[in-house]
Amino acid sequence: MESFLELLSISLLIAAFGLTATKRIRSYISVFQLQSLLLAAATMAIGIYNLQAEGVMDILFLAVVIFILKGLVIPRLLRNTYTKVEYTVEKDFFINIPSAIMISAALVILTYFTIHSLNGSLSAQTKFYLVNALSVVLIGLFFMISRKKAIGQIVGFLVLENGLFATALFSANGMPVIVDLGILVDLLTAVMIMGMLVFRINETFDSINVDRLKNLRG
Amino acid sequence: MNTPLYILIQLAAALLLAPLVNGVIKKVKAFSQKRQGPPLQQMYLDLYKLLQKDTVVSETASWVYHFAPYLNFVTALLAFLFFPVTFFQQTISFGGDIILAVYLLGLGRFFMALGGLDTGSTFGGMGASREMMISALIEPALLVSLLTLGLMSGSTSVESIMSVNLQGSPLSTNPFALLILIALFIILLAETARIPVDDPSTHLELTMVHEAMLLEYSGRHLALMEYAAVIKQLLFITILANFFFPLEPALASPLPALLLGLIVYVLKVLIIAVLVAVTEISTVKLRFFSIPNLAAISFVLSFLGFMQFFIIGR
Repeated sequence: MESFLELLSISLLIAAFGLTATKRIRSYISVFQLQSLLLAAATMAIGIYNLQAEGVMDILFLAVVIFILKGLVIPRLLRNTYTKVEYTVEKDFFINIPSAIMISAALVILTYFTIHSLNGSLSAQTKFYLVNALSVVLIGLFFMISRKKAIGQIVGFLVLENGLFATALFSANGMPVIVDLGILVDLLTAVMIMGMLVFRINETFDSINVDRLKNLRG
Repeated sequence: MNTPLYILIQLAAALLLAPLVNGVIKKVKAFSQKRQGPPLQQMYLDLYKLLQKDTVVSETASWVYHFAPYLNFVTALLAFLFFPVTFFQQTISFGGDIILAVYLLGLGRFFMALGGLDTGSTFGGMGASREMMISALIEPALLVSLLTLGLMSGSTSVESIMSVNLQGSPLSTNPFALLILIALFIILLAETARIPVDDPSTHLELTMVHEAMLLEYSGRHLALMEYAAVIKQLLFITILANFFFPLEPALASPLPALLLGLIVYVLKVLIIAVLVAVTEISTVKLRFFSIPNLAAISFVLSFLGFMQFFIIGR
């Protein structure tokens, strides 16, 4: 089971890189959906293990909630927003893709050196999980600031939250379940509100290119 | 003591199996378009036909044009000898032979590009410059992947990598080998001129890279160049099959074990060929200046695999 979890944590990192490498909004949403499904699979594996070891079902319940919310509901909300908004084909990113990929690799190296210089007693395996999960957080943050379209920024925020959840899950078997459920419900609300805002921005400016918001200046 | 026999088996596998793999890929692509497609033995018939035809040589061609097909074929076949098809054979192996194999392929590619330039036609020059750019972008990824596999097993010779793999596939002992697997799959698509990088069945100058260098060849020269391309394809598929999915049948006596190993190898190669065909069906050919994106992904994935080895390498 350990190597299955390690494979899943590597796949989360690969999905984060897949996000940086795509140019189209529909692809970002699909890659985010794939990453959430992988995260749900990892949560389910840890949940089943916990059920056999201690007899508590909370992490298993969390796995089902993540699968439904992040794997099905949120991508559907994002796709609905995307189809209602007018999409013009223009350059979507501030930094071109090969440079963005190199910067994401540099972020992974930065995470590695940070975790390596911690003074606590972490086993090599926990360090491995932490490097992968924290890199997903940083790559999500970088993705959020490097895209011009508002939906790209929403997807970056969601990937960041995926990474935070993965960090808590792999190193400490999840935060207390109430905290996790609260975060997920807040996330759902945030995505709905952001979707409405994107729609409003599109109505006012006829594009969701946040560069154009500079027109608000006098 | 059995080395000449093993070398013969290796050569037979290369020469007999390589055109079949190409046929399987074309058949799968044809089925996806609801066509019948050419029969599986079509490439053997094509090669036989080409070997009997005359060659037409341009007036401005020099010795490079005549030399390139032979060199390309010989280096591809020689590089294939370094990667044994089953676990029982040791054909040629010494420390660092992976690097030699990669650069033998590079030598073949260099002469292929020179041969394309030699005829003085514009297609050849264009194909040669595009091929050089793609190979320059892919080469770091290939070397870092192979060197990481060598680090995981302690030496850079293929035999040591395969003997470590006998204790369990790298995917189960070292899960970050998944990064190397994906990087090597992207490299396979780039080196064998498959759809995300270059369309193998086109003759429009907008999209051809490998075909452009072969355009001026005819007769037996063309047969040798095509054969070299499919042997290179079989080489990369063998790397994926034998380094990541080692399935060794455990029989006592050597001869049945060798036969069973060959059958298992052929099955693995056919499955990976179908996977390559499915990838070709589901993506589009990238714009030429988007190929650095693909090469950057491949390089970064292999570099991260290398780095993860230092975090948790076993």
